[in-house]
Amino acid sequence: MEYLSGGKIVVVDLGTSEIVEETLEESLVEEKIGGAAITRHLAEAHADGNPIVIGTGLLTGTLYPATCGGIITAKSPVTGKLCHCPVTLKVALEIQFAGFDYIVLKGVSAKPVFLWVHDGIADISDAADVWGKDTWTTTDAWRKNMGDDLIQTMVIGKAGEEKSDCAQVCLNYWASGDRFGFGKLFGMKNLKGLAFRGMGLLEIADAEEFIELSLDMLEDLKESAFVGKQGIGDLCAAIGEQGAKEWLAPIVHRHSACYNTPYPSNTFVYIDEDPQRVTEPEQAEPGFLVTDLYGLLGFYKLNLSAKDACGLMRECARLGLDAATVAEWCAANGKQAAGDIQAALPGISSQATISGRGIFSPWCPRQPIWGAFEAAAQDGEQWWERRMAVAAVFGIHPLMAVMAPELSEADLLETATVGTGITFNQERLNGVIDYLLAD
Amino acid sequence: MAIQIDALKCIGCMACEMACGYHRDDGFALLSACIVTYRTREKKDYFGVLLKREEDLLIARPEGTEIKRIGVEEETDSSQEADASAKPMLLREACDLCKDMDLGPMCVRFCPVDAITNVE
Ligand code: SF4
Ligand code: SF4
Repeated sequence: MEYLSGGKIVVVDLGTSEIVEETLEESLVEEKIGGAAITRHLAEAHADGNPIVIGTGLLTGTLYPATCGGIITAKSPVTGKLCHCPVTLKVALEIQFAGFDYIVLKGVSAKPVFLWVHDGIADISDAADVWGKDTWTTTDAWRKNMGDDLIQTMVIGKAGEEKSDCAQVCLNYWASGDRFGFGKLFGMKNLKGLAFRGMGLLEIADAEEFIELSLDMLEDLKESAFVGKQGIGDLCAAIGEQGAKEWLAPIVHRHSACYNTPYPSNTFVYIDEDPQRVTEPEQAEPGFLVTDLYGLLGFYKLNLSAKDACGLMRECARLGLDAATVAEWCAANGKQAAGDIQAALPGISSQATISGRGIFSPWCPRQPIWGAFEAAAQDGEQWWERRMAVAAVFGIHPLMAVMAPELSEADLLETATVGTGITFNQERLNGVIDYLLAD
Repeated sequence: MAIQIDALKCIGCMACEMACGYHRDDGFALLSACIVTYRTREKKDYFGVLLKREEDLLIARPEGTEIKRIGVEEETDSSQEADASAKPMLLREACDLCKDMDLGPMCVRFCPVDAITNVE
């Protein structure tokens, strides 16, 4: 695969430590386009090794707006289904430039390890020093040991090591869309996580045309219904939880975006620092980046203060626990006081409630956010699954997929065609979506 | 013409960095960009944008913009440079305002929130 791609797949056998590099054949891209369709294909091809497959979308890491997305595909150890977890922030960007489009991790390691993926090399590295440590300590240790503060990580905490059903794979220090217990699967494989760093270059088949299309889309998005809104608070309000927005507001510091994504969906709250502060705080860890809408709402509904709720979300992320499932468990078990919840966290092992078919993560709202989508009115569930599938194939941020009808299938197909020199049409995309949505 | 950056408007998306990388390398890459989002103080939520110019470094911090003359204040620059990326800012080419690009300054065009402007 020549364009918009590192051109390589790496297959890592954690049981034997064998690492095999394969070429990403153009024929596979012609057939499956990219992202979740190829991770699913690889998961099926290596099914005997109960694999975790990590990948990027066809447009990930480009200048086409909202192309921050990557994917973790695996059979959930909790639901037993093959499903896909979105990878956001700047993690998928780093995967894209680290040299591999797809990473297959199969088998079980005899001892704790992590995969260090950098500049076209994948190394199985010892994780004994960080086993038992939380996600924050681990990310800090990997950045320090490798001497690069821009390393991006996928990492589990104690919850994954101890195989909790609501263990989550975290991104750097923050919550992810893993509501499938992939953190538990990492733990079952003795895999503490992955660290990514890369300086690659993606070539473009028709660069000028690709840039034109990207700028046209950006101009359209600057007129979109989400403009003027920002952060997790406005997302709460959009799904009918205006009170949560007001409750959170006093501790909001700033909003930030995932790579090249026009809507800043991540909200940093200062828990131990003045939220009005603009200079660099002296404290090393003054707050938390809220990336999970339903985790936040779950704690909000427990009638906690915003500070206590965000403090508990920070603890969940450190332990590598899915905050939304934890909040659900607290509600079901009558835990309402912050201290009681904090004390209970290390022992919680509860299954997330996943509505629908559980192929894509319910981390992303199942309804249009501000944007007008005709198809959503006809069959909301079908519309949502299709938008999730499209986002996961091309590497579009899932939230943008439910926010911006401008990011149409036709535009994505045209941009992918211009970028790769491969002709992708609607029929091909329909086939890929059918494949992804098939049980 | 000069590039101005409003770090408080910035949402840290890195589009400017990739746009500049494209201008330098005709592909998608970050290594040669002369505008970068500094983002290593992730746990503190302290981020902004650095621009390498011919004579100086423009550091757009949330609390305001600072200009550091190259060659005069390097000793205090080291932490900022380390922030930028594996390739220190001082080794990168300076901003040429994308003078060979018909589309104009690429970082300005691709910033989704108009945090970067090109002023006469
Ligand atoms: S004007 Fe052009 S060269 Fe200067 S920082 Fe922006 S993209 Fe880079
Ligand atoms: S493109 Fe704009 S918002 Fe994004 S990092 Fe650059 S200055 Fe900030």
